[in-house]
Amino acid sequence: MFMKRQLPIAIAAIIGFITLFGWFVSEPNIKSFVDDDATQWFDILASFAIFLGALNLLKLQAMKVMKQQKGWPYAALAIAGFLFSFSAGFILLGSYNVEISQYNDPAKVATVLASEINLDEKSTENILMAMPEGDTYTIETPYFTKNGAEDVVEKINAAGGTANMRATEWGSHISTRGSLFNWMFRFIFTPLSATMFALLAFFVASASYRAFKIRNFEATLLLVSGIIIMLGRVPIGGNISAWFIMYIVVLSIGAGVNTWFKNRTITLATVGGGILLVTIAGFITGWPIDQPGIFYLPVLQDWIYNNPNVAGARAIMIGIGLGIFATSIRYILGIEKSYIGE
Amino acid sequence: MNGSEIFGAWVAVFLTLGIFSYLYKDNPFYKIAEHVFVGVSAGYWMSMFFWTQIQPNLFGRLWPTPDGAIAGFFMKIWYGIYNLFGFILPSVFPDGGIDKGHGNHPHFLYIIPFVLGIMMLLSVSSKFSWMARLGIAYTVGMAAGLRAYAFLNSNVLGQIKGTAVSFVDMPFFSLTGVSVFNNLIILVGTITGLLYFYFSKEHKGNFGKVTRVGIYFLMISFGASFGFAVMGRISLLIGRFTDLITYGSSTYNYASLWVLLLMIGLLAVWTFKGNKEVAS
Amino acid sequence: MEKFLDFIVRAGSLDRRYIFVVIALVVLLPLFFPLGLPIRPTIASQKVYDVVEELNAGDKALVSFEYGPSTKPEIHPMAVALLRHLFEKDVKVYITCLWPDGQFMAMEALEQVAEDQYNKVYGEDYVLLGFRPGNEAVIKGLVSNLRKVFTVDANGNFLDDIPMMTGINQVADFDYLFSASAGYPGTVEWVQYAADPVGITMSTGTTSIQVNEVMPYVQSGQIKGILGGMPGAAEYESLIGQAGIGTSGMDAQSVAHVVIVAFIIFGNISFFVERRRSKKY
Repeated sequence: MFMKRQLPIAIAAIIGFITLFGWFVSEPNIKSFVDDDATQWFDILASFAIFLGALNLLKLQAMKVMKQQKGWPYAALAIAGFLFSFSAGFILLGSYNVEISQYNDPAKVATVLASEINLDEKSTENILMAMPEGDTYTIETPYFTKNGAEDVVEKINAAGGTANMRATEWGSHISTRGSLFNWMFRFIFTPLSATMFALLAFFVASASYRAFKIRNFEATLLLVSGIIIMLGRVPIGGNISAWFIMYIVVLSIGAGVNTWFKNRTITLATVGGGILLVTIAGFITGWPIDQPGIFYLPVLQDWIYNNPNVAGARAIMIGIGLGIFATSIRYILGIEKSYIGE
Repeated sequence: MNGSEIFGAWVAVFLTLGIFSYLYKDNPFYKIAEHVFVGVSAGYWMSMFFWTQIQPNLFGRLWPTPDGAIAGFFMKIWYGIYNLFGFILPSVFPDGGIDKGHGNHPHFLYIIPFVLGIMMLLSVSSKFSWMARLGIAYTVGMAAGLRAYAFLNSNVLGQIKGTAVSFVDMPFFSLTGVSVFNNLIILVGTITGLLYFYFSKEHKGNFGKVTRVGIYFLMISFGASFGFAVMGRISLLIGRFTDLITYGSSTYNYASLWVLLLMIGLLAVWTFKGNKEVAS
Repeated sequence: MEKFLDFIVRAGSLDRRYIFVVIALVVLLPLFFPLGLPIRPTIASQKVYDVVEELNAGDKALVSFEYGPSTKPEIHPMAVALLRHLFEKDVKVYITCLWPDGQFMAMEALEQVAEDQYNKVYGEDYVLLGFRPGNEAVIKGLVSNLRKVFTVDANGNFLDDIPMMTGINQVADFDYLFSASAGYPGTVEWVQYAADPVGITMSTGTTSIQVNEVMPYVQSGQIKGILGGMPGAAEYESLIGQAGIGTSGMDAQSVAHVVIVAFIIFGNISFFVERRRSKKY
């Protein structure tokens, strides 16, 4: 029981307290532990947590396959995907470079090299010739397999060059351009994660068509501010004249007057007067597209963005800030124990 | 363009269109792509976190390359353990220790996070599920200690400072810069917005009117958030289409085009078959 | 008239797949037939440009990549544009990543800008420190002692062997901080654990969705300027005078926004007609 309950709570309380304390003290030993080693431990544990997550996920999929539950072939596919990326990370290095240090006859070496770097023989030969004495030429894209690289080395050596193979160091293989791990990132992980997110574009569009209804004043505010941001922030907003917006404003006022007074004459007078006023003003000023600024979408959206929007966002930020502060203190004091399932 | 890149482009196109096919309806292409994603991500995340933290900063500290020969009984056992690991996984534990610039002497203090980490992993078995608690407690405690100060400092005090601005030496109104009017808007909006979140008092009477103003500011902010959400998603779609266009070029043997046609064809056949089955 | 209203009401409950097709088309077509609409920088983007413009040759900038393929179209163009601006001014660039994917994004951006365009030397003009897991704890560590978090760079070189790392021990040793961020951990954490406690000048580029979460920091001056989403990237590209991926996406972005606004307006007209009818009967 002690290990399962009291100890975790004690650890969270002590570490939490020391960390919070560390913001305020300048005692070098405490400060160095809190800022350097304790954070390192955190980073290490965060990494183990990722391992735990991956293992749990794998366990889930494996259970599905073993019990032959509905859709188990897909679960098997997930496991296969894991095995592939795990191999690219830990078992298959997938990054072997070929370096050419010497050649007697560049033309001959070029015949072999050209097909490896997808160039014609003449340009390849020029590259080799332009190389300063004593430099090595490395084929830019590494080979996935040791054999693949060794084959090329042999061919170049047979053509009178001196080539050798260099395996990338483990750990650097993940950040080596053209390695197997990198290939996996570019052609499997990238399209999948990017498309998953891009898919939402369609649903956002359909939601705005079907669900975004003006039911009251609050909804109207939300919608108008959303539309102004949407149009004002993209180049097309700069092509919409302030005068066009003014006409729309006049019509909207007309709609408002109509619902308020429910009198056709007053509505017509308001709309007609407004249109006349805007038109006269337009002729006097010569219809400048960005004047008056308050009706020009890029300027208007910038004002909303920097002022009323910030006010609302700040209220939310302060609210959340206080909330997180309070929760953190609850964790440190051992009142909040959700992390041990209580 | 070498072979692996062209092959990669075909794989990428298949997976991209597989996910997009969900827009028509849930179908095997989508399921394949989805499950590959789950599996590959798990292995990818493990690899990244291992090679960037556990290997260099944990193992690199526990078993650094020693200075000269290993002497002393304890050290021999310590590096004996290392050699045993190296026998199982030579890619992770190369001969002679891990040299990642952490000096020549083991940092034994780091056994603590190592043990906590191993206990975390053991919790995969439901019998030992409690073992993860110690490690989790550590991260929770530390995050709480960090956040308590950081949120109070940057998100509360910093914001209060930002709101309490001066009203002198500036024009009354300006669309593009600082002005008295704009500062008033921010001041009023922030305070009324915050009061809206105050639920200990019923929103009625004068207080209700004030919180009403607060809602209006929040709505403007939510509206802007909505506009930004649309903007972001459309940008992501543009990115995806740009990639598909690239992969649809002759360099990649028109991968996008062929895969698209194939997928539409197969989906049509499936739908047709499915309808027949329903009809019969 | 009645028939027309009927049509409007029915169109209001259209199968959403028709909407999907319309969205796909309005995004796709402008990519093939660009309109070339002019781009106008917002105040917050201009601010980022002004701050970078004030840096001198030899100043040290810490650029952090916190995004991945999922948000690449939004952030990558601004990361590329910012790197161009920094290299143009001969500022030394140090790159860290709080997201694992960020390391790959940084590699791609560096290949394009540092190697192919500006011919910068690795280790003297720029360095890729790489990814470290641990979210805000990593920032806290970098602020206190960078050498404990990173002893080697992303390629496995010892920091002590990298010339431009001499004298760099903590965040306070940098002159400028830029976070290219797509969420947690990202801009917010850099403000809380680095910019506010250390006082380093910081700007940011975020996804559109994250903009509102960060805007209060910009208004209060905790962050100097923000680039928001792909349009923010396009604005920065126009400011430095080098059009890139951001600019080329703006036509599609514009048309799609107009269409979605039209959707909203049409959806509401349909809603009003329907409501009026249901009141009548």
